[in-house]
Amino acid sequence: MLSMNNINKVFRTDLVETTALRDFNLTIDEGDFVSVTGPSGSGKTTFLNIAGLLETYTSGQYLLDGTDVSNLSDRQRSQLRNEKIGFIFQSFNLIPDLNLYDNVDVPLRYRGFSKQERHKRITQSLERVGLANRMKHLPAQLSGGQQQRVAIARALAGEPRFLLADEPTGNLDSQMAKSVMALLQEINQQGTTIVMVTHDPELAMQTGKNVFVRDGQISKHETLVPMALASNQ
Amino acid sequence: MKTNLEFGPICRALLRNKVGAVLIALQIALTMTIVVNAIFIIVERQGLMQRESGIDEANSFYLTSTGFGKDFEPKRIIDQDLDVIRNTPGVVDAIQINAIPISGGGWSMSLTTEPGDDQDDVSTAVYFVDTHGIDALDLEVVAGDNFASTDIRWRERNQPDWPDKAMITKALAEKLFPDIPWQSVVGKTVYIGEDEPVIVTGIVDKLQAPWIGWSELENAMLSPEKMVTESTRYFIRTEPGQRDRLMAELENTLANAYGNRLIRNVTTVTQTREQSYRQHSAMIKILSTVMVLLTLITAMGIVGLTSFNVNRRRKQIGTRRALGASKQAIVRYFMLENVIISTTGILLGVAMTIGLNMLLIEWFAMTALDWYYIPAGMAVLFVVGQLAVLGPALKAAATPPAIATRTV
Ligand SMILES: Nc1ncnc2c1ncn2[C@@H]1O[C@H](COP(=O)(O)OP(=O)(O)OP(=O)(O)O)[C@@H](O)[C@H]1O
Ligand SMILES: [Mg+2]
Repeated sequence: MLSMNNINKVFRTDLVETTALRDFNLTIDEGDFVSVTGPSGSGKTTFLNIAGLLETYTSGQYLLDGTDVSNLSDRQRSQLRNEKIGFIFQSFNLIPDLNLYDNVDVPLRYRGFSKQERHKRITQSLERVGLANRMKHLPAQLSGGQQQRVAIARALAGEPRFLLADEPTGNLDSQMAKSVMALLQEINQQGTTIVMVTHDPELAMQTGKNVFVRDGQISKHETLVPMALASNQ
Repeated sequence: MKTNLEFGPICRALLRNKVGAVLIALQIALTMTIVVNAIFIIVERQGLMQRESGIDEANSFYLTSTGFGKDFEPKRIIDQDLDVIRNTPGVVDAIQINAIPISGGGWSMSLTTEPGDDQDDVSTAVYFVDTHGIDALDLEVVAGDNFASTDIRWRERNQPDWPDKAMITKALAEKLFPDIPWQSVVGKTVYIGEDEPVIVTGIVDKLQAPWIGWSELENAMLSPEKMVTESTRYFIRTEPGQRDRLMAELENTLANAYGNRLIRNVTTVTQTREQSYRQHSAMIKILSTVMVLLTLITAMGIVGLTSFNVNRRRKQIGTRRALGASKQAIVRYFMLENVIISTTGILLGVAMTIGLNMLLIEWFAMTALDWYYIPAGMAVLFVVGQLAVLGPALKAAATPPAIATRTV
């Protein structure tokens, strides 16, 4: 599904050069739920951005679904993001001036779906996160957990194969974090590959695989028994 | 891949953030109102300024000569002056005249086609000329004949009666006798000062009256007379390129021919036109400046508002990019947003434009706007809006998608 070989990422500013990723190697298979942990500044977000085609890398090879993405145009990268990848952000990134319905609609419009198709997908995905009855509400009228659910609905509406989440529970209290985590697990069980960056070791324990990043490299790679699964149902 | 325009969401988002958009829409409406009416006034004034006087403006000038002394005999000196001027190389022809076309000052009389004080009259400017009037004023006799030298009489000071012949402009002939072809006006009798008959012996193509703001500007009559006066005005037409030289030269020539005189107001017709139309050209300049400034300010307003919105929405733009918006989709978003704001402003502008025009008609007796100014104004403001928004929109499109994960 995703394969990174010797990826390097160097940020150059006027004076400083920061190597955010150093010979980074990682393979993620279809259906995996991978958590990424590591100290602040270790390169987790950088990895996620490169995986999600939000940033380019300096050297190395990245195959997404077997395709080398290094020579794609901006338009092609945008289209891949739109069709294959769903994003979940720490601060939700809902558009404050749009109601929930229009928020979930955003990626679907870029996809060029018909009005009926969009309507179907929006209602279905809002139903899936339990917020179908709040469609006309603005993001500010929801709790943080609810906002993140809307963001998840937005990410799912396009039926991506690949979900990328950067500290999706970082802004939520533990109760809300739990419910968001349960939702992600459910989504993963239905076949979507998920990569989640988190600071919370407890949440990381609930995923199938964990990679620990330090200084731009993977320092530990472990397969976990997803124990939270049972308690969830 | 078919792309969805985002009219609905953009409208709904705008409605939640009205103030800036409404102010810009109002500014667009106001700009359109003023620009369209200003252009209309400018075009109208330009039309007025382009009217031809009928004389050879580029090659003509005039001067006033006032004679003094016991031995100043007006008739002799005037004839002698005209002789000298007409024989100066470079001069096409010259006349004594009572008034200069489009200069602002002159004589007018009322003409009727029947005698009596209860007749509908037509006003006309009156020029006193001799047989050289046609060539000096660059006129063409299009029907009938020029005056014969025997027709020319001397008009004494305060002499109230009129010669029995006159030539009139084609425009005046048509006003006096609207029911017959203008050629047939030759030979007709008209009445000047209620009951004094004058026969029309010739029609000239075109000669304007002295007053450019007058509704009867094209009405002029030539009366075959020379005036007995100490202060006389000579009108001189020169060959092309000779005017400026002759202005200086003739002043000396006249002084040499009779020394005891004062020559004043040596003026070209070009200067006269500039002077007479000064208000119009000033108005055109002011309105053009206002128009350009207003349009610039509006464009800058749009640039400012859009730039502000782009900066404010950086995270939102990055998020949209992350969710699959191409750069083009981001540019399109801001262009479309501008279409919505501009269209609102422009539609309001149409109503305000017509409203202002109606007020101008009522207050200043202006004419009604030609319809095509409205769509032209709409198009101009639409294009200005789209051009203004282009820069900030391109800047928005350059927002890196990584903003979505990198900002809190
Ligand atoms: N745009 C940038 N310009 C320069 N340096 C950057 C940029 N983005 C990230 N970096 C640097 O790259 C390194 C990795 O950053 P990254 O955001 O990937 O860390 P992280 O593991 O996500 O940290 P955190 O847990 O705090 O979110 C850091 O040293 C950071 O300062
Ligand atoms: Mg990070």
